[in-house]
Amino acid sequence: MEKRNKIIFSIILGVVCFILTMVIFLQFKTISQTDIISIESMREEELKQELSTYKTKYDEVVTKLEENNKKILEYEKSLSSEEEATNLINKELEESNDLIGKNSVQGEGIIITLTDTKDSKITANDLLTLMNELKQAGAEAISINDQRIVYNTYIVDINYTYISVNGKRIVSPYVVKAIGNTTYLESALSQKQYGYIDKMLAAKKSVVLERQSLIDIANYTGDLSFEYVKEEK
Amino acid sequence: MKKYNAAIILGVTCLILVLAICIQIRTIEEASNVVGSSLNDNSEMKDKVLEAQEDYKQIYSQLEKSNKKLEKIRQLATSNSQEDELLKLELEDNDKVQGLTDVKGKGVIINLDDNREVDETEVLNISSYLVHEEDLLQIINELFNAGADAISINNQRVVSTTAILCDGNIIRVNGEIISVPITIKAIGYPESLYYALMRPQGYLDVMQKDGVIVKVEKSDDITISKYEGVYNYDYIIGGDK
Repeated sequence: MEKRNKIIFSIILGVVCFILTMVIFLQFKTISQTDIISIESMREEELKQELSTYKTKYDEVVTKLEENNKKILEYEKSLSSEEEATNLINKELEESNDLIGKNSVQGEGIIITLTDTKDSKITANDLLTLMNELKQAGAEAISINDQRIVYNTYIVDINYTYISVNGKRIVSPYVVKAIGNTTYLESALSQKQYGYIDKMLAAKKSVVLERQSLIDIANYTGDLSFEYVKEEK
Repeated sequence: MKKYNAAIILGVTCLILVLAICIQIRTIEEASNVVGSSLNDNSEMKDKVLEAQEDYKQIYSQLEKSNKKLEKIRQLATSNSQEDELLKLELEDNDKVQGLTDVKGKGVIINLDDNREVDETEVLNISSYLVHEEDLLQIINELFNAGADAISINNQRVVSTTAILCDGNIIRVNGEIISVPITIKAIGYPESLYYALMRPQGYLDVMQKDGVIVKVEKSDDITISKYEGVYNYDYIIGGDK
């Protein structure tokens, strides 16, 4: 009888300890899963922004997922035909060459022309800021005076006499071409007062924006391979 | 005697567990208190944001799975012809350039932090003690100019479509919120990267003198994680081939 009591006692203790441990793990999990502080400290506007950012990203991933599934099916079908496989891999490669800048590309977009005036010169920083704004507005391909903007493009002033893009010298007028949703691109730059164009005009710089239904953007002529990344495997 | 020992051990264990729970709960409460009570009304909105983040994580992990599946079937489909295999290898190289793989190498690690020691009422311009989004844009530009292969800011990979934005007092990179302390990792030739930023009148040298907390170290073993997003291909209607 006493032995039985002991066993029951141990079981109860065991269960209590187990529950306590589980509670701790749950707590830990909640903390690691959510960056509580960053969300807690947000204002309503910021939360709305965050929500819409995630919705957009979600939709983008869904689109990509559908494309992937379609490609998988096509590859499965192509297993019996070598020619079909060549077509598919070529198509994938061309798309990625379009995106990374190895191919010249076409599409709708905007052209922004920045010109030095007597009062004010265009600086590398003006162009760098513009690149950043165009990327934010979803530009899929950009060039400045036919220098394609790639992932590692840098833009610097050289002795205040000219600007170097991808290590190539360019001078005014700076013709910036961007392919993307024309409306998004234009409205992102044209916001009143705080938009790029109004800020530039306030600084007495010359900026002209035009929409185009078909823009040609040149390919990148440099080498895109890594130099310092260690190859694995 | 034995009974006592067992009881004491159990007692201590339970005490520790209860303490751990209490500490956890307090930490969470403290974190919420930062906000102030007036903002707690947004809790519904916060739940929605958390939910959206969770949904995104889920769909993204599905995408990763389907990427692996696609790689496998592509491998199989291109294994019959040497020509196809070469195209596949080129495609994989392109993926690396697009930042879709983790990469390793030597380079520099930059740590930046706002200077919180200064008294706002005593300095002329508190802004110069803080890290701004323009600073990040300039540092990235300098690093690529010095030959960097790959860069990340607080583990957000810098890719061809990366924008660095200021949105109120929040900095966003790839749409994700970044807050101080900021860690920038760059793979490249460590001496060149270091010199480009820390030389007299180099960008970080100036930032440091302005009062921002700057630490740069060279490292032989840096891992930069991949870009966790997708490239849109909606408005390019055709390449040159």
